[in-house]
Amino acid sequence: MSDDWSENLTLYFQRMLPLFSSLLLVFLSYVPLNIAGMGGIRPAMGMICVYFWLIHRPDVFNLGSVYFLGLIEDIISSAPFGSNVFALLVLYVLVSNLSRFFNGKPFVVMWYGFALLALIAFFSRWLLVSVYYSQFIPLPSVLFCYLFSVAVYPFLSLVNAFVQNALMKDEG
Amino acid sequence: MKRRKVLFIHLSNIRLLAKKFAIVILFLSAFVFMLINKTDTVIIEKTSSVATDVVSPLVDVLVIPARVVAGIYDYFRDLKQVYKENQKLRDENRRLVMVSSRARALEIENKLLSGLLNYTPPAEATFVTARVIAEEGDAFSHSLIAYTGLSNKVKKGQVVLSDSGVVGRIEQVGKMYSKIILITDINSKIPVMVERTRVRGILSGDNTSVPKMIFIPLEASLTVGDRVVTSGVAGVFPPGLPIGKIVSTEKNNVKIKTFSNLDRLEYVKIVDYGLDDVMEHAEQDGVLGKQDE
Repeated sequence: MSDDWSENLTLYFQRMLPLFSSLLLVFLSYVPLNIAGMGGIRPAMGMICVYFWLIHRPDVFNLGSVYFLGLIEDIISSAPFGSNVFALLVLYVLVSNLSRFFNGKPFVVMWYGFALLALIAFFSRWLLVSVYYSQFIPLPSVLFCYLFSVAVYPFLSLVNAFVQNALMKDEG
Repeated sequence: MKRRKVLFIHLSNIRLLAKKFAIVILFLSAFVFMLINKTDTVIIEKTSSVATDVVSPLVDVLVIPARVVAGIYDYFRDLKQVYKENQKLRDENRRLVMVSSRARALEIENKLLSGLLNYTPPAEATFVTARVIAEEGDAFSHSLIAYTGLSNKVKKGQVVLSDSGVVGRIEQVGKMYSKIILITDINSKIPVMVERTRVRGILSGDNTSVPKMIFIPLEASLTVGDRVVTSGVAGVFPPGLPIGKIVSTEKNNVKIKTFSNLDRLEYVKIVDYGLDDVMEHAEQDGVLGKQDE
């Protein structure tokens, strides 16, 4: 009885791991590291995690997780409330419809996939926020943020892959 | 029994329908959030402050270990530059000693002249120093979260300074944490003037690291390197607070480089200049910079 209970709890915890690790990475991305030359820029951590988990474990990272992650980012950020949720939902729609093209392919293809889909998500958020402010947000800074996110994707994939392979191996 | 079965079928139909339209509903909720946010209501502000108070401690616990790692990286990086920087600091110190003695003389002269004119000085400013626990400097917003709030009598609209100049203003106050809008954020609009020529304008953030100075008179003469300070117009920011210097004077595009290094802030000073009445009026009139157009 007790074994069943602890087994269920472990299983439940493992199913929540992608969301917990994504939240941890999102929180980390807001920590001021004061590293010279970084210019306060942060990668779109939510997008990176959403893409990774929807490709690799869509069974444990669903629409609710995407929405929750977006809400948390909106609470920390001072960008218009709802814009992070919107961008992550755009990415969710894209990934859930196109994941068959990237799943099981070499890492480079998945990386290209992220570069392509994140571009659409960034662009739609840029458009929405520009409409909100009734003025265009400078496109170069959006592009820089996008390129930075694409550049760090492999490193953050390693972290997510570690969570998937080392901590979720029983279920995987 | 049959009725229960029908009810079950109904419920499963509703669930199926909800699942089908969940994405649409969630998209709509994001739009609704943005619309409500645009109306700038008190309920949203309060809810948002409470949410910030709940989430911020989670970021806060990560600050110390993350800073240790970043500190090690910075230590080795800085070692290279220590000698050069030391020389530079010695020169600067020599220059500052001279400036300091001149400032002291001017201060005494100022006191004497103020006494002669029967001048009433403004109320002494009080301040709170707060630790920065989160920063955001991406394309969509430039802000900070600091570990101070209502418990330290911090109020919305108060000026935030670093040791080199204006950093921003308080946008949201929770019980323990406050959100600060940086002067580079698209929501920030501050009345400023060029120190040398007293030409006035508005410093307008655009989510880049170099905000623009707008609404400058056509005939104004501006030079690269001119210092820009707050003008004190509208009364929210007191006059004379250092902002930055002009780095570009192209037509319709006067860019200001801020004195404060906004990406390397560990502590900030939140100053209360006793301008509560002015701030209340400014908030009603939209002077505090929220995009109301």
